Amino acid sequence: MIKSIFLAIIVLGVLGAIFGALLAYASKIFHVEVDPKQAQIRECLAGANCGGCGYPGCDGYAAAVAKGEAPTNRCVAGGEATAAKVSEIMGVSNDAADKMVAFVPCSGSLEAAELRFNYNGPEDCRAAMLFGGRSSKMCTFACIGFGNCAKACQFDAMHIIDGVARVDRLNCVGCGACVDACPKSIVKLIPEKQKIMPACSNTEKGAQVMKVCKVGCIGCMKCQRECPADAIVVKDNLAQVDPSKCVQCGHCADICPRHIISYFGPEYKNR
Amino acid sequence: MNRKQQFKEGLITNNPVLVQQIGMCATMAITTTLFNGIGMGLSVLIILTCCNVVVAALRKIIPDEIRLAIFVVVIAGFVTIVDLLLQAFIPALSAALGVFIPLIVVNCIIIGRAEAFCQKNTVKDSFFDGIFQGLGYTCVLIIMCVFREFVGSGRFGGGLIDVANGFRFTLDGTGGGIQIFPEEFGAAIMNLPFGGFLTLGLLIGLMQYALKRSEKKKKAAEHAAKEAALKEVEE
Amino acid sequence: MLANILSISLGAILINNFIFSQFLGCCPFLGCSNKVDTAAGMGLAVVFVMGLASAICWVIDNYILIPLNLAFLETLAFILVIAALVQFVEMFLKKSVPSLYSALGIYLPLITTNCAVLGVVLLNVQNNYNFIESVVYGITGGLGFMLAIVLFASVRERTQFSDYPECFEGFPICLVSAALVAMAFMGFSGMKIF
Repeated sequence: MIKSIFLAIIVLGVLGAIFGALLAYASKIFHVEVDPKQAQIRECLAGANCGGCGYPGCDGYAAAVAKGEAPTNRCVAGGEATAAKVSEIMGVSNDAADKMVAFVPCSGSLEAAELRFNYNGPEDCRAAMLFGGRSSKMCTFACIGFGNCAKACQFDAMHIIDGVARVDRLNCVGCGACVDACPKSIVKLIPEKQKIMPACSNTEKGAQVMKVCKVGCIGCMKCQRECPADAIVVKDNLAQVDPSKCVQCGHCADICPRHIISYFGPEYKNR
Repeated sequence: MNRKQQFKEGLITNNPVLVQQIGMCATMAITTTLFNGIGMGLSVLIILTCCNVVVAALRKIIPDEIRLAIFVVVIAGFVTIVDLLLQAFIPALSAALGVFIPLIVVNCIIIGRAEAFCQKNTVKDSFFDGIFQGLGYTCVLIIMCVFREFVGSGRFGGGLIDVANGFRFTLDGTGGGIQIFPEEFGAAIMNLPFGGFLTLGLLIGLMQYALKRSEKKKKAAEHAAKEAALKEVEE
Repeated sequence: MLANILSISLGAILINNFIFSQFLGCCPFLGCSNKVDTAAGMGLAVVFVMGLASAICWVIDNYILIPLNLAFLETLAFILVIAALVQFVEMFLKKSVPSLYSALGIYLPLITTNCAVLGVVLLNVQNNYNFIESVVYGITGGLGFMLAIVLFASVRERTQFSDYPECFEGFPICLVSAALVAMAFMGFSGMKIF
């Protein structure tokens, strides 16, 4: 019996030693060079794997920066602080990029928008789009309001309030997950410093818009006439703002007869 | 560490199968009779406790790179011991459980607890953790066995209880169990893999429902408490 | 001999499918089957590991453990072989196919704790297969696992859009769907070809 105990220990010990040696040898052959900079950069990143930088996850972005392929200020979740740290590691100067936030150009809440039919299917925007007209609301440009964007948001910045999506600008980091998730591609990224935006996407004539929505833009051109900086024009029956010209005064939001222009300025005047 | 808290966690709030959702292979495969279920549950409990104690005792000496290999070797050692003991003393259980006894080595529960708990806690805490998690696992196995046997063959306690000559427990797996309704009226498919998947799915669903409800109640209570506090401040 | 091999293969892939009949390998089956591409990659890795593990473990069992009367060390020796093999596969993939390596992520080291790999090796011992039969059982068992996991990934991609009770989110709806697929696979039971 003692013999078999010793034999067991010896056999296992030898097997273990052989495998250990084989593995050690294999680890030399299959050695992959890891750039130390990549590990350092990966440490500074936010780690949310949101994809906002445009690379597959934080590891992907760190690898691209270490190779010199990516700019150092792409991490939207980490913001300026992260960009500064990454620039320091790579030894380049930090160019501050414009912070972007998401915006939903639709005000078609259940109160304002007319319904075409009662929809009783899965609460998913993609599924609802399969029906003719692309929405249960009569306006075919409207936000469907079932929240694919809200589900995609990792920062709790997108909520469905009263049947339409609304962005929480304080939480939004501008990663663009909602832009990808929206099947109608309504959600856009706008520069954060642009505080005025018409919240409508309907390009039909004013009379049609009034039939389908209580607040949609009718293209009356009042904003275009009164803008002091010529920053807002009506194209295709829809008011559109040029961020490079806009002085953020908010006058157009005050005088719009439909109250459709969202104003995120110091005195939040939106409905 | 609070023993009552550990007990509650092991059995309900951190149940290895229903909440942590690990170690499901064996759970579905062997829960066809109560004999198998209790046998497997107790085996896992013993192995889990022993491994927890050893890993916790060695936790300061094991180098980080090879810790998984050491865990596996320790677990394999204890599994071999239990396997040989079962083959010797309860051969019916060994034959019924078949290849699933050596497969306890790769049961995610044991490796998971060793990795998550025993590395950072004392031997005494790990000992009780092993017992309570093992109890939680055994309870789930018992519930699944009872349900599957009842719906599948109308029986209770197959292999373990024998009522032919007065009530007695049979530790050699030959007991016929208490026939609650005739076997022809049972859904025999419950004894097949379909039954295993379905029962476990329903159990986990039930557990998630119960946990969500208790969380909602807690949140509502917190909300009410906050409102009451605000009202007091206003007054 | 050929008839034997064919019957083992068909048995492993369809009749006694490792997941839907024998319940071996459920954890990665449920955890890794979110997308068809990940599932296919995982399946291929498992086929490779199962085939190699069967071969190496058969050699160790028949030329070292049994002649020295150490059959009780089977569990321990097999799991050591499998752990070393998975580590080797990880290193190999990291160097040669880094895209597959990053796609599999954490699931690659988890092949060590995959019941199917240890299970197939132990079943080879239980069924007294010779070398060729063991390797065939290992590879075809892996193929059966891959078939099951890829099929189930497609099912899961559809269940994402279904309307099920909230408490069934995650594993429960997965398990119920798996129950239905297992019922479908029952159609193969009792088949005897050779």
